[in-house]
Amino acid sequence: MQAFYRSLLGLYPAGYRRVYQREMLSVLAELSEEAAEQDWPVRLWLAARESAGLLRGALEEHFRALTGSDPRDVVPNRRISMRSEFRFPKTTVALMTIILVAVIVAIEKAKALSESIPPSSVPVGPIHPEYVGVVPAFLIAVGGSCVMGLLGWAVVFSLRRSGIHRFSSMQTDTSQSKSTTLGLK
Amino acid sequence: MAPSLLTEPVLLILLSLADQPRHGYAILQDTHKISGGRVRLSTGTLYGALRRLLEENWIERFEASDTSRGKQAYRLTATGRRHLQAEVHRMRQLSYVASLRLERMES
Repeated sequence: MQAFYRSLLGLYPAGYRRVYQREMLSVLAELSEEAAEQDWPVRLWLAARESAGLLRGALEEHFRALTGSDPRDVVPNRRISMRSEFRFPKTTVALMTIILVAVIVAIEKAKALSESIPPSSVPVGPIHPEYVGVVPAFLIAVGGSCVMGLLGWAVVFSLRRSGIHRFSSMQTDTSQSKSTTLGLK
Repeated sequence: MAPSLLTEPVLLILLSLADQPRHGYAILQDTHKISGGRVRLSTGTLYGALRRLLEENWIERFEASDTSRGKQAYRLTATGRRHLQAEVHRMRQLSYVASLRLERMES
């Protein structure tokens, strides 16, 4: 798991890694030790939460490195609302966990496959155009569109669950409450 | 001061450093404890917040002599303590007004 966290830390900008990588890895190692006593669903949940945190952190640091401003300053101020923090909805975490497990399984399968096949240097022949039909290409295009559509839907669904769309109606709510108060007076 | 600096995780981190310096893992455990188990920060969130607080000079980083070699610890600066006190004062005032209003509504 430490190797996986290390690869996620590799997504951070180089300057950030130079200062914090060693320290963050040490914290993640302590967290992993603590989690080792727990059952596997808890360990999986913790790993998903830490991975999501690292991915989000890497995105934020790149945004900051590119624009020079903090992404938290771009979104509206939540000081008064005092929400604990932006939380990934459970659906997003579940989706990310499934993807994480699928990637790990795929890597393991690929390793096993590459070890089982003896190395050979048989050249791959030229691909003749008659093998590339119109129907398979069409099916691939339709399949790809469906997958993209599903991913888009998942992203929109997750964003709606996070309540980010409510930011746009914040101003309206304030003016409504003001008018209600005035009405009472 | 960045307007979005004092989110709840940041406030919890500052409160965690208010009584003594702590290193990363100790901050994670303490914020979980003082929030009554409600907030559990991830390592990515913690270090993002620590980086911002260091830039704003609200906290400082130093090598702790009493722990294993190379373990960095964090402590509040005078600026950080002043901002924390101001925030606690603001919250106290707000909760006082809130409790008065709620009592008036109930009576």
